[in-house]
Parts: sequence; structure tokens; C-alpha cells
Amino acid sequence: MSLRQGVPQYAQGNEAVRAVADESDAEEDALVNDYREQVQYNQDGMDDLERTVSIGTGAGQDIHAQLQAAATPLEFQASLETKFASYDNYCTLFHFILNSEGPVDLEMPNHYWAWDVIDEFIYQFNSFCSHRQRVALKADNEAEIQILRDSPNTWGCYSVLNVLYSLIQKSQITEQLAASRRGEDPSQFAGEYGNRQLYKSLGYFSIIGLLRVHCLLGDFSLAIKTLDDIELNKKATFARVMAAHFTTYYYVGFSYMMMRRYADAIRMFSHILIYVSRTKNFQKNSQYENVAKKNDQMHALIAICVAFHPTRLDDTIHTALREKYGEKFNRLQRGGPEALPIFEELFRSACPKFISPTPPDFDNPEINVDPIDHHCAIFMEEVKNHMWSPTVKSYLKLYTTMDLEKLAGFLEIEPEKLRSWLLVTKQRSRQVRWSEGALLDGEVVNSSELDYALEGDLIHVSEAKVGRRLVDWYLRNLARTY
Amino acid sequence: MGVPFDYAPDRPENIQQILNSLERYNPETTTIFQEYVMQQCENQTYDCYANLALLKLYQFNPHLLKDEAVTNILLKSLTVFPSPDFSLCLALLPPHILLPPSKASAAASNNPVAGEAPFNEAVQKLTVLHRLLAGAQYSEFWSTLDGDDLYADLVADVAGFEELMRVRIAVAVSQSVRQISRSVLESWLNLRAAPFDKFVKEVCGWGIEGEGKDAKVRVPLNKENEAKGVVVRENVKFEQFGRLVRRAYEQPA
Repeated sequence: MSLRQGVPQYAQGNEAVRAVADESDAEEDALVNDYREQVQYNQDGMDDLERTVSIGTGAGQDIHAQLQAAATPLEFQASLETKFASYDNYCTLFHFILNSEGPVDLEMPNHYWAWDVIDEFIYQFNSFCSHRQRVALKADNEAEIQILRDSPNTWGCYSVLNVLYSLIQKSQITEQLAASRRGEDPSQFAGEYGNRQLYKSLGYFSIIGLLRVHCLLGDFSLAIKTLDDIELNKKATFARVMAAHFTTYYYVGFSYMMMRRYADAIRMFSHILIYVSRTKNFQKNSQYENVAKKNDQMHALIAICVAFHPTRLDDTIHTALREKYGEKFNRLQRGGPEALPIFEELFRSACPKFISPTPPDFDNPEINVDPIDHHCAIFMEEVKNHMWSPTVKSYLKLYTTMDLEKLAGFLEIEPEKLRSWLLVTKQRSRQVRWSEGALLDGEVVNSSELDYALEGDLIHVSEAKVGRRLVDWYLRNLARTY
Repeated sequence: MGVPFDYAPDRPENIQQILNSLERYNPETTTIFQEYVMQQCENQTYDCYANLALLKLYQFNPHLLKDEAVTNILLKSLTVFPSPDFSLCLALLPPHILLPPSKASAAASNNPVAGEAPFNEAVQKLTVLHRLLAGAQYSEFWSTLDGDDLYADLVADVAGFEELMRVRIAVAVSQSVRQISRSVLESWLNLRAAPFDKFVKEVCGWGIEGEGKDAKVRVPLNKENEAKGVVVRENVKFEQFGRLVRRAYEQPA
């Protein structure tokens, strides 16, 4: 994580942000260059691959074609048969990789193939479950319903998890990661399988796949727990594959948001959004389309989080939010009932496509509620609960002491109601925030620069003020004298 | 007080092992987790991470779902409000759980197998409690809890539920209050007269001042309710001067 996000945001003036950023800039530049090389390399790699396939023998061609197919997206309007067939293909392929005698001797077509396979595998699982749910809810396509009824285990949740966990275990990737965290040589712990790049990569990306599956199923704490062994920083393996880097931060950020750890969610989203804005010039166009969509989603999520937890954002992100959402962004921050539809709209546009793990109840179409609605309803409860905090805070900012009844009069509500709002706002300003260790760790901190206490009906208000910042000014002027 | 989310002080060794292995997906462990939930209810302990694992097993194997275990888990998660635990538990329940009862019971009358209407109702009743607690409407919380027999049935399994809730409410109050009128706090804690005095003095360690209508309860200062204005000073690290020092060496003297 860059230093920039480690320091409490309210404690920073603009200059200080830049001063600290300088250090991480150097690191980021290196990463950007690295990424540029990769893009070049990828193109060469693709050419090589085509050549080897064309000169390969019959059998070799077959397995190569299969590897390639596993990483290729299905057509958009693929029929059920195609989806079933694709599931069978994955089963065959993973069976071959996992259950052959000893590790199979395969070269990966290219270094991001492993990511593509896991990504596509989960994507197809996700879209299959959503499709099945929709068919059951609509209940107007008898033929499809019959097919789905007959094969409840196709794209079953247990089999998908089984594949991911098996890949993780076979490659002993958690042991390897733990070893490299201790500063030891991971290959000592890799075993027969884990020393091969194929298994190692598949195992590694399966961890990120698990993060995603758990999040899709609504198990946010387990999703974050899955990443215990992976250190989130720019040197991590996933950072070498753009899509993986991106996906990881999206799902971790989202899970934090659902656990109401908004400061941590903002940290995740900011990190990756800044990274994308710095690298987008080297993105190949086809890849960039996917990135652009997720990019928009993360802007929406960060807008939500900032409304819950007002924070100074990086300038790039702040400008982007203004451009994209403008008036909506202001209304989110203002709170109140008129902000509710915007919260819902943004949440729906930006949440993952949640799924139910089990086949739907085809006999009672109307009870097959879309899981997205379910999660949205839970989320909106929290939004409603929080809705008056910005209003309360905006008034309190103006005073150092204030009478409860008087303020209630300004707000045109019952004094007892205001008392409750004050308690709620106070509770919400105490958040768990990560400082070190595993991602689920954290300490309760006061996340607001405004603090207050009730003495009878008198509200005492205090504010955290930021002192003058001199170091940056000093450093800049000193640099100029050289 | 940094306590990781997946940590529980009273978690038995065997539960810890299941949670850390793939056994957590094994439907046969459902019974072990169910017993553990009952234990938590009896001993007044709480382990959200393990309870979520049970809810996940139910999510994967809906036929194993035990209504009672679910409602107990939800009740236990209420005792730690305002943490997000209740919402996290809710997220793992079947999506139709929040459907209005009319719709769900219509479905149930078509097919008795899906007859989960009472279960839906119970969960929704608990969501009402959660909403009141989250909105700091404590007197409404108590009146709702006392106003419906269904709640009495639900709460029956959870030992000391009311006492746990009182302590929790007291914690919430102590965060934002230095002094509060006795009558307000009485309605928030749903205690009056002598039992109120006892709870406030002995459990909370707070003082009561004055008599009759003007009686006040004084909460001693703590980190949260002092609301002290702070000036955030710049935190200067030596690293910030790194470039400066480096350049001083690089420049020919």
C-alpha cells in the first residue's frame, strides 16, 4: 500500500499528500514501465504461441486448443447446451490437470493464461447461476426449465469450490506464500506440483477466484479472510496481470464496504483507480473495455463510501467523480431521503452480480428473488439509518455548544428524535480500520474530524483542527536552491 | 482494541480446526455448529465467524436449515450492535427471506414444502428490532420486544438477552453522553426505580444525582465522550528528507 493512504486522511493538507506521494511515485513509475514491457511482451508471446501450435503434432494441438479454449469467453448469447458443454470441458481439463499421475507436463500458452482460465471459469459459473435464477423467476420457458431441473449439479457450487480449493492445495501455494513472507525460499515448500509454473499460477489465481466466489455468495468476511496469505502491494504476483490486479481490489474493496469499513474500502478503490489512470495509455483497446466498465463501477462505489465517510480523495479521483456524477455526488453527500434513490442506483450499477448457490425453486417462481435485490435491501437499511448524519454534522460544525431543543427546532424534529440521531452519528463515526497484519484485523478509530458529547440537553462540539504544514514548503524551497 | 473479525476468545479447539479446514463445507459439521450456537446462547458468549460458517452450510444445503439456529444466531448478533454482524448474517440467508409475508405465504399455501412463512416472519420481526437498535430508538425497541408474544418465544433460548442488550445500550450511551436525565435513560434501559439504580451504579459504575423529575445520571469521562478538540500536528518522518540528503551527496562539492 502506498504511504499516501496510510496516514489519516483528515490529518493531511494538500501539500503533505504530494510530499509523501513523491516516494511512492518512484515506485509507481517503475511499475508502469514494467507494465509497458509486459504489454510488448504479450504481443510477441502471442505470435510465438501461434507458431508453436501450427508446427505442433496432432495430440499437442489438441491439448493446446483445449487450454486456449478454457481461457476464451463464450459468445454473449450462448445457448444452454453450449454452457453445459463448456462446464464439461472445464471438468475434463481440471480433472486432467489435478488427477493425472503426477504433475502434467504442460507449458502455459502465455503467462496470463492461468488468470484467464480461472477468471472465465468463475464468470461462466456466475452467469449460469444468474441465468438459472432468471429463468425460474420468469417461469415462461418450459423447455429450459426442464433441462435445468434435470441437471441440478451442473455448475454446482460445491464443484466450483472444489476445483479452486484443489488447485490451491495441489500447488501448496499457501505454504509457498507463507514462506516468502517469512523471507524464505518458497520453492522449498512447493512440492512436486507447486514447483511447476502451471500449478503455481493456477493455485495463486484460485485464491483470488475464491475471494470472488465468496463475495458473489454474500460471504464478505470469508472473502477477505481468503486473502490472508496474499500481501496486497504492488509487488504481489497479481499486480503483473492487469485484470487480476483490478479484480482483487474491486472485490476486497466491495467486501470492506459491506462490512462497513468504509475507510478501508476507500483505500482499496483509490489505490487501484490511481493505478489505472496512470497506466491507461498503454492498455490495449480490447482489454481496456473491461477495465473501463469496472472502473466506472469503482467510481460509483467510492462515491458511496465517501458519503458514509467524508475523506479527502486523491485529486484525480475527485475530478473524475465530479465529471461522472456531478450533482448526484453532491446529493449523496448531503444525505436525507432524496439521496436514497441515488444510493440504490449506484449500488445496483456497481455491485457484483450476486448469486444463490443452490438451484432455484421452479415450483414457486415468485419466491426466487434476485439475490441482487436481497443484498440491495440489506445495504439500503444501513443507508437509511445513516441518512441524517450529514445534516446533523453540518449544523454541529457551526457551534461549540448547542442546546438540544434549539437544534431540534432548526431541524423541525422532536428533541428525542434528535437525541437518537446524535447517538447514531456518533456510533457511525467509530469504524474499524486496518493498520497492519491480516486484512480482517483493524482497530476502532474515530473517523470524523467532528466530535461531540451530550451533557443533559447541552451538546458540546469539538473539532480536530489541522495545524500548519511546513515541511513540504521547506523541502520544495530547499530543492530549488540546488 | 484491535480484535480481528475472525477471532473469538472462547472458541473451542475443535471449532477452530473445522473453521480453518475444508471441513467447514462438510454438511456433517452442521450439527457441531448448531450445538456450538446453543452453547453460545447458554454461556452468553459470542462467535460471529463460526456462526457465519453455519449459515453458509445452510446456504449450500437448504434442506438442513434449522429455523431455530438461524433466529438464535440473529438474536446473538443483535447483542453486539452496532457492529455489522446482523447484516452479514442476513446476507447469507435465502433471498426470499425479506419478501412481504403475504407473498411468501401465498407460495407456501401452493406448496407445503416451501412453507417457510413463519420463518420469514420471525426473521423479519428480528429485522425490525435491528432497525430500532441501529436507529438508537431504544425505548421503542423495548416496547416492540414486550409487545409481541412471538418475541418472547424467540428470545427464550438466549440466556440473559435483556441484560446483554442493556449493557450494550449502556455502552452506546457512554460513548456520547456525559450526563443524561434519569427518565430518558430509564426508558432506554427499560428499568425503573431500585433495579435501575442497581444497574446504573453496579454494572455501569455511573452516578445518580438529584431526586424526582430533575434526577440526572452522570457518566464518568471516557475516551469517547470527552470530545476534546485536538490540533493535528504535522508528523515529520526522516524519510521525507531522503531525496534531499541523497542529492547533497550526489552534487559535486
